[in-house]
Amino acid sequence: MIDEAVVDLSRLQFALTALYHFLFVPLTLGLSFILAIMESCYVMSGKEIYKDMTKFWGKLFGINFAMGVTTGITLEFQFGTNWSYYSHYVGDIFGVPLAIEGLMAFFLESTFVGLFFFGWDRLTKVQHLVVTWLVAIGSNLSALWILIANGWMQYPTGAEFNYESMRMELDSFADVLFNPVAQVKFVHTVAAGYTTGAMFVLSVSAYYLLRNRDLPFARRSFAIASSFGLASALSVIVLGDESGYTVGDIQKTKLAAIEAAWETEDPPASFTLFAIPDRENQTNHYAVEIPWVMGLIATRSIDEPVLGFDKLIPQHEQRIRNGILAYETLEQLRAGDTSDETRRQFADLRADLGFGLLLKRQTDNISAATEEQIKRAAQDSIPSVPLLFWTFRIMVGCGLLMLFVFAAAFIESARHHSAASKRLLRLCMWSLPLPWIAAECGWVVAESGRQPWSIAEVLPTYLSASSITRGEVIGSLAAIIAFYTFLLVVEVYLMQRFIRKGPSSLGTGRYHFELAAEHTAQRT
Amino acid sequence: MDYETLKLIWWALIGVLLIGFAITDGFDMGVGMLLRVIARTDIERRVMINTVGPHWEGNQVWLITAGGAIFAAWPMVYAAAFSGLYAALIITLLALFFRPVGFDYRSKIGDWRWREAWDWGLTIGGVVPALIFGVAFGNLLLGLPFNLDDLLRPSYEGSFWALLHPFALVCGLLSVAMLAMQGGAWLQLKTEGLLLSRARRITEITAWAVIGLFILAGIWLLLGVDGLHIVEGRPADEAITPLMKTVAAGNSGWQANFRAQPALYAIPLLGIIAALATALLSRRESNLVFVASSICLTAIILTPAVALFPFVMPSSVNPDISLTMWDATSSKLTLGLMLVAAAVFVPIILLYTAWCYRRMFGRVSKQYIEDNSHSSY
Amino acid sequence: MWYFTWILGVLLACAFAIVNALWLENTENMDRLEAEEERRREGTGGA
Ligand code: HDD
Ligand code: HEM
Ligand code: HEM
Repeated sequence: MIDEAVVDLSRLQFALTALYHFLFVPLTLGLSFILAIMESCYVMSGKEIYKDMTKFWGKLFGINFAMGVTTGITLEFQFGTNWSYYSHYVGDIFGVPLAIEGLMAFFLESTFVGLFFFGWDRLTKVQHLVVTWLVAIGSNLSALWILIANGWMQYPTGAEFNYESMRMELDSFADVLFNPVAQVKFVHTVAAGYTTGAMFVLSVSAYYLLRNRDLPFARRSFAIASSFGLASALSVIVLGDESGYTVGDIQKTKLAAIEAAWETEDPPASFTLFAIPDRENQTNHYAVEIPWVMGLIATRSIDEPVLGFDKLIPQHEQRIRNGILAYETLEQLRAGDTSDETRRQFADLRADLGFGLLLKRQTDNISAATEEQIKRAAQDSIPSVPLLFWTFRIMVGCGLLMLFVFAAAFIESARHHSAASKRLLRLCMWSLPLPWIAAECGWVVAESGRQPWSIAEVLPTYLSASSITRGEVIGSLAAIIAFYTFLLVVEVYLMQRFIRKGPSSLGTGRYHFELAAEHTAQRT
Repeated sequence: MDYETLKLIWWALIGVLLIGFAITDGFDMGVGMLLRVIARTDIERRVMINTVGPHWEGNQVWLITAGGAIFAAWPMVYAAAFSGLYAALIITLLALFFRPVGFDYRSKIGDWRWREAWDWGLTIGGVVPALIFGVAFGNLLLGLPFNLDDLLRPSYEGSFWALLHPFALVCGLLSVAMLAMQGGAWLQLKTEGLLLSRARRITEITAWAVIGLFILAGIWLLLGVDGLHIVEGRPADEAITPLMKTVAAGNSGWQANFRAQPALYAIPLLGIIAALATALLSRRESNLVFVASSICLTAIILTPAVALFPFVMPSSVNPDISLTMWDATSSKLTLGLMLVAAAVFVPIILLYTAWCYRRMFGRVSKQYIEDNSHSSY
Repeated sequence: MWYFTWILGVLLACAFAIVNALWLENTENMDRLEAEEERRREGTGGA
């Protein structure tokens, strides 16, 4: 039997390390393009100040990048350490994008990031610009491949179960690559990254403007951030809507959880703005609903229903029953009965094998599952409703707020009034955490909405774990938390220190604190 | 291309990735190990760190890609090895954490305690992974206590402490000495003055240590370790699982492959000769020392790989389910696809990596660090 | 084809930001404002 505690602790460890990794990832994704933009301005206009901008924001980029790399390595190896059955079961498909990510993206970004920092006086202006663009492209390609892998977990296309090797095997790489879920996931997630980078620059520049220091530097950064940010915030919302549509199409259970849809409404479904979902009684309290909206978003029609759990759970129950048959047929095949008849039967039932495996959590002997165990497995086949309901709404709320902030900032900077409106600057400054909150919530929606599956409808999370001991996972979890907390403290300390110093930290002698020091030196 | 050839090519490619890791990331880990040994002042340490500054990040990707490639090409090995060696791997990860932040954050604050702390971090980030990788290789030769059930779920029956077998510890020390030597050889290319002469001395010392430990490990292996061989199995070009063969002991010292192909003895011999050359070349000014050291690493890593072939992960509790490069692999389609990806990207990677090293070529001086104290590490 | 959209979109967003910055640069307002601020700072600094 698998130890439930090991599974839960491993989930906790994966969630913590992945969420932690994703504190740094979006800033890398966005800031790298902003650096490329700034340096392009430098090469095109020849003004030294754009070079200083590239270098200063590059310094902050470097502090963040180191953490992204550190935390990424943990994730790369964690599939093997904590999810060994998963690794065996789907490595044939899942390993491919991971390996290609290394070859195509990590090498590119990591090789050139060294040159970005150390190559300023060894490369020509244009060569260095190319290097900066390559860093940006490399980091985005890494997002592409990891999200193809992640998208496949949500919607495992292009693969089939092979009873001889007892695992999923690749049968069409094109299907994996052009998986619709992976595609929308990629564009939505990188757009979230661009928004994060833009908000970071916008907010820190607003701080300098409020402090009335290094104004030419801050104003130019502000202008770039507001325009890039406006474009990104628009994209993240449009593409988020597209994600919602894809989810509505492919992951009906996740959509129902996001909507806390216990009952199937007559189409078009309404959108629940606020509610307190109650799993016990399968209902919502204090619901505030807007008619029609959900039906339009999720199905883009007025006559298709959005399925509620009242329809979904019985469907799952039926598939679990089929899954038992599939599992029995599989056992026959493995016992050596490979007649055409059995093989055909297995091919018919194969799609529901995963649902059969859901029963492993209730009993070791799937074929002897009782009625009650089947019912319980069906009840367990849906994710946590309140968690999804709320994280989704927080994400969307942050997105809309940020769109407003960027739009206002853009208009201000285009009209050169930024010195005038302190209120807007303060708003920009305090909006700093919004993109991170939205992105972390987004991942919780996507990942915990997939539960109880690690590979949707193929492999339950429960079965994916390694045969390791509780003690081992507790030990690693404690060590990782201690380390990560320590590293975060150091990182945040360095970040705020350099942000406070601002471009004066470049040592060019052209900026606020250096000028101030000169000033006092002259006076005394 | 047939399945058997593909399997063979992937065995070689994973070897290439691991050797690429040892040669490139090896030298920056080596520099980390030597940081507190041969640099006396902060400025000397900064010189050392800046010799690897532009490169360590790209170098580390060899390790990451090797991990990804093992996942894709040998999923069963990835699953069984990393979950079995759980504690060892977590410790390695924790040690590796120190490197990116150590390199990047150390110079950001002038306080000596801050810098001293990160220097320790960089030392740990060099020594600990090298030691554990070496110990892991030693344990492969000894066999690991893991099992597979009939659903192919791996389980591990040993403990972390059991890994610290004396033979494995010798392998661990060998690995540390090797990377320290590689770091020293790199510093000979990139430093000048006092630091250079200390780098030459330490390279020579570690090269002698490599020779001694390598010979010791070899003798121990021949006298005290009993290897495995396949008694009966299915043809290699079929889709097979690790459950489909019979394996027996009686391959004393893993010598069977060498006996069958005596030309293979050239590999360990080359390792010793190259280490000797590294020691001797360190006595005078020569850029060839880095080449010699890299050849030495390659030969020493190839030796156990060839000895184990076709085994990748022998099991000490149930030899029949030992993982081999024939039966722990991915499907034919996956291997073929990945081969195409590797054939396209590896040459491109080598090309731009070479360009980067060319651009950053030349010695790092104290003067340079002083002039660029805001932008260098 | 969302991948294709992405390529276009990123290029567009970057181009938008670059053009915007250079346009602001060219309307010379940036420099005018800077000159004013410089004067103001001199004023307060000297007092
Ligand atoms: C390539 C695969 C992959 C990728 C790109 C991500 N995850 Fe994930 N995630 C998993 C693969 C996975 C997993 C291995 O499958 C887990 C562990 C247990 C599980 O069910 O799924 C998981 C669990 C998991 C959970 C816990 C869900 C639960 O147990 O209820 C959270 C909150 C996240 N992840 C968050 C993230 C974040 C913030 C990511 C961004 C970096 C992320 N995931 C990327
Ligand atoms: C759970 C799966 C993930 C794994 C196994 C993983 C693995 C890694 C590894 C090993 C690195 C270090 C690479 C280096 O040294 O250059 C890294 C960095 C990075 N990862 Fe992830 N990652 C995961 C999730 C993600 C996601 C979902 C994204 C993007 C949307 C992403 C984007 C990046 C980026 C941009 C970097 C560059 C370094 C930085 O962030 O500063 N990763 N990742
Ligand atoms: C405002 C409108 C938004 C909508 C309608 C929206 C919609 C969605 C949906 C439906 C998902 C789940 C996709 C899945 O499960 O596969 C998702 C995921 C996600 N969202 Fe949003 N989102 C919005 C804004 C944002 C913002 C502003 C950010 C961050 C800055 C963000 C970051 C993310 C991330 C990182 C994920 C996880 C990756 C993924 O599955 O694509 N979202 N979003």
